[in-house]
Amino acid sequence: MKGIIFDIQPFSVYDGPGIRTTVFFKGCNLRCRWCHNPESWLTEPQLRFYPSKCIGCGKCFNICPNGAHVMTEDGHIIDRSKCTVCEECADNCYSDALLMSGRTIDSEELFSLIMEDAPYFKNSKGGVTFSGGECMLQHDFLLEMLKKCKAANIHTAVDTAGDVPYEWFEKILPYTDLFLWDVKAADSELHKHLTGDGNETIIENLKKLTEKGANMIIRVPCVPGGNMQDMDGIIELLKDIKPEIVELLAYHKLGESKKEALGFGKTEFTVPSKAEMTALCDKFVKNGINAVYKG
Amino acid sequence: MANIDISRDVVLSEEMHRRIISMKNEKIKNNKAKIESRGGHWDTDDHGDIYHPDFKFEPIYEEGKDSTDDLRLIGKNVRKFLSEIPAYCFKDSALAGCWVGEMTSPRFTNFTIPYTELIPEDIRNLQREYGLAPGIFGMNHMSPDFGIGLKLGFKGILDKILYYREFNHPEDTTFYDAEEDTIRGILAFVENNAKYARKLAETEECEWRRLNYLKIATAAENLLTQPPKTFREACQFIAFYQSADRTYHNGGAMGQIDELLRPYFEKDIREGTLTEEEAVWMVASVFYNDPHYCQIGGQKPDGTDIVSRVSYIILQAAHTLHIPNNLAIRVYEEQDDTLMAKGLSCIMQAGSGPCFSLAKGIEEGYMKQGHTRGLARMRAKVGCNWVALPGIEYPLQDVTRINLAQGLIHALDDLKNSDEEPTLEKLWERYDYHVRIMVDTIRRGYDYHVDYISKYRPELVINLCCHGPIERGVNCAAGGVDIINLNCDGMALATVADSFAAIEQRIVKEKKLTWQEMFEALDCNYEGKEDIRLMLKSIPRFGSPESLARKWAEKISKSYVDEMTAELTPRNHIRVVPGLFSHGDIYAWGKGTRATPNGRKGGEPISHSSEPDPGFAKGLTSFSPTLKATAVARVQPGWGNSAPLHLDIDSDMVMKNGGVDCLCALVKTHNEMGGTLINMNCVTKEQIMRAHADPDLEPDLVVRVTGYSAFFASLSKEYRQQVVDRYLTTD
Repeated sequence: MKGIIFDIQPFSVYDGPGIRTTVFFKGCNLRCRWCHNPESWLTEPQLRFYPSKCIGCGKCFNICPNGAHVMTEDGHIIDRSKCTVCEECADNCYSDALLMSGRTIDSEELFSLIMEDAPYFKNSKGGVTFSGGECMLQHDFLLEMLKKCKAANIHTAVDTAGDVPYEWFEKILPYTDLFLWDVKAADSELHKHLTGDGNETIIENLKKLTEKGANMIIRVPCVPGGNMQDMDGIIELLKDIKPEIVELLAYHKLGESKKEALGFGKTEFTVPSKAEMTALCDKFVKNGINAVYKG
Repeated sequence: MANIDISRDVVLSEEMHRRIISMKNEKIKNNKAKIESRGGHWDTDDHGDIYHPDFKFEPIYEEGKDSTDDLRLIGKNVRKFLSEIPAYCFKDSALAGCWVGEMTSPRFTNFTIPYTELIPEDIRNLQREYGLAPGIFGMNHMSPDFGIGLKLGFKGILDKILYYREFNHPEDTTFYDAEEDTIRGILAFVENNAKYARKLAETEECEWRRLNYLKIATAAENLLTQPPKTFREACQFIAFYQSADRTYHNGGAMGQIDELLRPYFEKDIREGTLTEEEAVWMVASVFYNDPHYCQIGGQKPDGTDIVSRVSYIILQAAHTLHIPNNLAIRVYEEQDDTLMAKGLSCIMQAGSGPCFSLAKGIEEGYMKQGHTRGLARMRAKVGCNWVALPGIEYPLQDVTRINLAQGLIHALDDLKNSDEEPTLEKLWERYDYHVRIMVDTIRRGYDYHVDYISKYRPELVINLCCHGPIERGVNCAAGGVDIINLNCDGMALATVADSFAAIEQRIVKEKKLTWQEMFEALDCNYEGKEDIRLMLKSIPRFGSPESLARKWAEKISKSYVDEMTAELTPRNHIRVVPGLFSHGDIYAWGKGTRATPNGRKGGEPISHSSEPDPGFAKGLTSFSPTLKATAVARVQPGWGNSAPLHLDIDSDMVMKNGGVDCLCALVKTHNEMGGTLINMNCVTKEQIMRAHADPDLEPDLVVRVTGYSAFFASLSKEYRQQVVDRYLTTD
């Protein structure tokens, strides 16, 4: 079976316990305004363009069958309406100005790449984390990967926003040691405004899985100008769900350059200060929630 | 007793902390003066010498001559030099004595070795042609066994020399005479320092300092007539001996220091004559004397664990002092991880700290040479990348190098100048041929080292603390010790592997480039051929999982090792042990290396040791410390010497997530995979970049350059860049 992914990050120490390899699946059904992996949104491969790395060799102009590379007064641009993402230009761009996001990969090959770090998993009680995008959208491929990893005694984690049919979770649950579950807003209208969809399914799935005893780490992105106004609501929601651990993640701007390279617009959020995050974490804790902020 | 936590921190009083920080500040000050006198930077180990610009030495030569190669005169000069070194006693140190420079350097003497007369012309020509570092007449890179010195004391060593000269009754007594001169020089050096400390006490107004000077004087006076009996005297013995060893041949190895000091520590603590915080201060004073290469932890020959309370005292001393330091923690499978974890915590707190010498690869490789596991366990990490049996093994390490990229460049020239169509197979065949010539040249040259080093530059100081040289009346390198271990390090592994992979991918498989186009690009150093350079450079490089370059790197390492171990040296029949280590000299070696097909321009640095180039991972898998560690583990030469892994990790990443536990797992896994040495830095990217831009902003930032550590501000821009380039970051 084949899936489409856009990155593999070994020595990932952010996404679950120990040393982990995080596999980023491509394709997402949300459009979080602060997303730091915008290359994950579309399922199909995408072309990224970094003008600062262009050496002006002109190869892409000559090789593009659709004339998508255009020289304007502002310099070299890509006419995305003409680009069919045939990958020819990226294949021949050696300065890394043109890069592809996304690659179809066979489950065997992906498993083999994951197993590169298996000795480190063993000594650190780490494992593999499937992330995205929304990895649940490729649930059949995900299931196959989870099965392979469990058969090899590798600890598995699924990083999800949870906005998919519950049946899909039921399929993977026996092979998933840990869920990293995003809670982005408690208010459904705000959730829809920030991500493109309401949160009813997400909350329902979260409650069902919690009741089933699924091992969970709740992750709350903290985005000033985004969801910060809804933190009281999130606290109330989590008081009800009673998760074992909640990680507060401060918004950062690492995804900005990628957004530009993909031809998306800029976002308008600010990075929260350490003091803000610490105060917020205290507030969660005072409300009886086991929250952590790794400053 | 069993319930006492031996890893607990010693609570240092304000006064004791002040003394240690005072030594640190003095070291920074002295270092600044030294660096300025050396033209603004210093790219190697600090070595601990004290800046004495006014010290001059008048050597003894035969009348009418301005040089000597006569061992008899060398011995006399050693004695004279040691007895003239200015006495030294820093006001907040527990110890006296320093060294002021290598006496064999042109600054002080002209001890000659007639190299061109001794080494045949064809060997010298090949050395030149391939740019070899032949190592002939290089520094020993061995470790004394302080167990001998601490047991006998300086006077006991003198008695031993006199006894064996009488007992063996050799016709030519030059060797013993030179050794006698050496120990008498050391005794004079000790006496001078004793007198100096006593004199300082006479005028010192501070009561604590006055008493300290008197204790220093008493310890030194005791060492004139008897072996060390206290912890302080043991530390003082080491500092005096090391100062002498540095002076003669730049030695700086202490061996298994926790075990050496343990009996003195336990006795003094038991008798109530030493407190733990005094022990920390005294060990810090040893490190102030010299950033000695030494090891803590590991196993005794029978497999029992070595770690003791002293191991932690030593680690705390090095951490609190925090100047360049070359302490190693030995890591082995199934160990208690507490010492390693504490060492890693030190690195996370201070940015640098101990390195980690990994037992599995070192021991199994040594056993491959025909030694037992018990013996292999006794080897200590005693230099940048070297390990040795203290006092038992004469190794020549870290001075002999083959730049494998020269083999590739010669092979490319062969193909370019041939009438036949180039192929990858022919390139490999020619590369292998040239590597064989280089290896053979090293092996042949080493026979001359063995033949002559003992005549022209015997290890007069190290011999004193070895098992055999005095007893047998023979220099360690000539059979004075039981084990001779000559080594040769390959370099530029990734440069060559990435080059072969680039050719295979771009020319052979994809046919995007012709051989001719590549030759032309190389000949013009990629001038006007940036597209070709980037095409060759942008392949998945060594370090990337399942890459062509990884396959080539493993093949290149194996072929180098196979060539080196295929034969013994032709006349003395000694095996040359293969390693992969470039020291920090990748810029210097790169300057003499033409453009290579990995997109590297002529003059640019070659790759480091057995490591992938910085930023190697490209494509689907992102850059990570584990990828790098796996790559280095897979190309280990496997004959018992270290081929290091440098991990430069953004502390923001590990402090927030996983922390010490993840780093512990990384170290342990590298050991299990056959890795041999980990050198680690752990500061934020912001700090290293700030220090790189303006070193004066971070005068006390210490980094591990490679096997040695240094003040970052002491390094040249190129060396600083080398550390910065290695830096792994979260973005």
